[in-house]
Amino acid sequence: MTHPRAATRTTARLSALSAVLAAGVSLYALPAAAQGEIRVAWYGGNWGEAFRTCVAEPFTKATGVRVVPEIGTSTVTFAKLQQQKDAPTLDVAYMDGGISEMAQAAGVLDAIDPTGVPNLAKALPEAIYKADGSIFAVGSGYYSLGLTYNTKEIKTPPTSWNDLWKPEFADTVTIPSPANSSGVPFVMFLNRMWGNPPGDLSKTFEKLKTLKTALYFDSSGAASNAYQSGEAIIGAHFNVGAWDLADKGLPIGFAVPKEGVWATDARLHLVKNAPHKADAQRFIDTALTPEASACLAEKLYLGPAVQNVSVSPDVERKLPWGVGGSVKNLQLFNWADINRDRAAITDAWNRELARQ
Amino acid sequence: MSAAMNRALPLLAAPVAFFAAFFAVPMIVVVSSSLMAGGVPSLGNYARVLFDQYHWDVLAATFRIAGLTTVACALLGYPLAYYLVRVVKSPALRRTCVILLVLPLFTSNIVRSFGWMVLLGRNGLVNDALVGVGILDRPMRFLGTELGIVIGLVYILLPFIVLAVGNALAAVDPALEDASSDLGATPFDTFRTVTFPLCLPGLMSGIVMVFTLAVSAYVTPALLSGGKITVFPMLIFQQYSTVFDVNYGGALSMTLLVMTLVLVGLAGWIGNAGASATGRKAQ
Repeated sequence: MTHPRAATRTTARLSALSAVLAAGVSLYALPAAAQGEIRVAWYGGNWGEAFRTCVAEPFTKATGVRVVPEIGTSTVTFAKLQQQKDAPTLDVAYMDGGISEMAQAAGVLDAIDPTGVPNLAKALPEAIYKADGSIFAVGSGYYSLGLTYNTKEIKTPPTSWNDLWKPEFADTVTIPSPANSSGVPFVMFLNRMWGNPPGDLSKTFEKLKTLKTALYFDSSGAASNAYQSGEAIIGAHFNVGAWDLADKGLPIGFAVPKEGVWATDARLHLVKNAPHKADAQRFIDTALTPEASACLAEKLYLGPAVQNVSVSPDVERKLPWGVGGSVKNLQLFNWADINRDRAAITDAWNRELARQ
Repeated sequence: MSAAMNRALPLLAAPVAFFAAFFAVPMIVVVSSSLMAGGVPSLGNYARVLFDQYHWDVLAATFRIAGLTTVACALLGYPLAYYLVRVVKSPALRRTCVILLVLPLFTSNIVRSFGWMVLLGRNGLVNDALVGVGILDRPMRFLGTELGIVIGLVYILLPFIVLAVGNALAAVDPALEDASSDLGATPFDTFRTVTFPLCLPGLMSGIVMVFTLAVSAYVTPALLSGGKITVFPMLIFQQYSTVFDVNYGGALSMTLLVMTLVLVGLAGWIGNAGASATGRKAQ
């Protein structure tokens, strides 16, 4: 956390210095300013590390342009973009599905143009998001919310979301709360799965009320913690978080049930009036290479949003769609629908489930 | 006088600017957004909050948890402060105790609450110990209960009350207590009529600090409730961070603030009345 701030301070000092120099020897000051950097907003923790290794470092190697990360969740990044609407300092922003549509509606995004980003041609058609005829976001990798279970306590992998209601799992189940980005879409996913009418969630809430949970998780970290401590032995979790636990040697399995999984993606956005637009486009172009995608798949198990990415068999089974799957197996909801019903579903959840 | 004022003004400018930028401005933003609905000025958000029994239930749960936390902190913190100030004679030992007390404050709330999630879990240390010793037959549920949240909050907020009471106790002149026993009062009477009333302001400020921090706590209740109990700050956070309704969120924030101020004001009034009554009796 101190790192970016220290970097800003150094930059400020340097620019003050170059201003002084510019007054005297203007010719020498110019190349220093032109050397360039771009500011990219991405997430914290292992996500940010992966974006740095897989995208930023190859980009800097190829162009000599430094990447200054601004670490924050999608929501924080969106708030920053709105604040700096008139004079943006960010060039590129990673934001999750859902927030991406909100940023588009708020008018803080620029169109991503195939002439500036030729690798757009390599992206999966599902990963290109358009509004009013222009591309406002491009996917950078999918992740899903699947069935996660303790392999020590549960010998046969669960095959259906309905298994969560089995009496032997009473009080050991965890599912996301609406405070988590997957909470509201998960309710809509269950609603569709049970064949309830899209506009009426009352039956779904009735069923959810009968689910004997250990906890509703509001952050991915809380879910990981619950599976790790044995507080939860079955439930929902992101493939990224579940496999991360398994890789650490914990007895955790991840299954794609027969009803499928709800999924979303981390997306790249070009900031409107970005101070370094050309370099920002090249950054997005670098992110859309099969190499960068394969690297993200290996580090985070993000399902590639680019065609013809090959990964090792061990990585492949940990991707959001499971063994032998593809993006076609993911249930990608229209975020406009989710955002429209978000307030009502959150309110219903509070009243029906989040009270003893 | 005016020269001193002139010297003092620039010194004041920094804190005033700081408070204006980081307290007054955000507060005005929250208040003004709470008074807007659908782009027009309206009291609709407040009507939505106040005319709904659900919000009163959540508010009651929030104040119940904060109240229990405050009582527990006072009951544990007062003897601890007394011990530190009056019983521990060695300054080095006292310093060590104070450092031990304050040390947890250097760790983030999130980390400490995660710690409690592990300790209080079904297979956690607390349950293992209680079952092992034979106090319980089978693991007790702490997570997702008000008790679990109170345990987490007491742990986090205890230092505030100990420091407040400790400072007040240290300021009590021991000569007054000596005089009291010289005049024939038992140690308990001396404590009841001299020591306790004199450090009551410290205790009250500690209580107010703990209560307000407990009412506004988000991280600890969010983690230890397991999403099964809702406190008011969780409703506010939801509106700002996932529903993005800053108008309704603003009205929720102002409701909590006003209710807390009313309760704290009431407690202060009762405390003052109590203190002056004890003072009169002592005379």
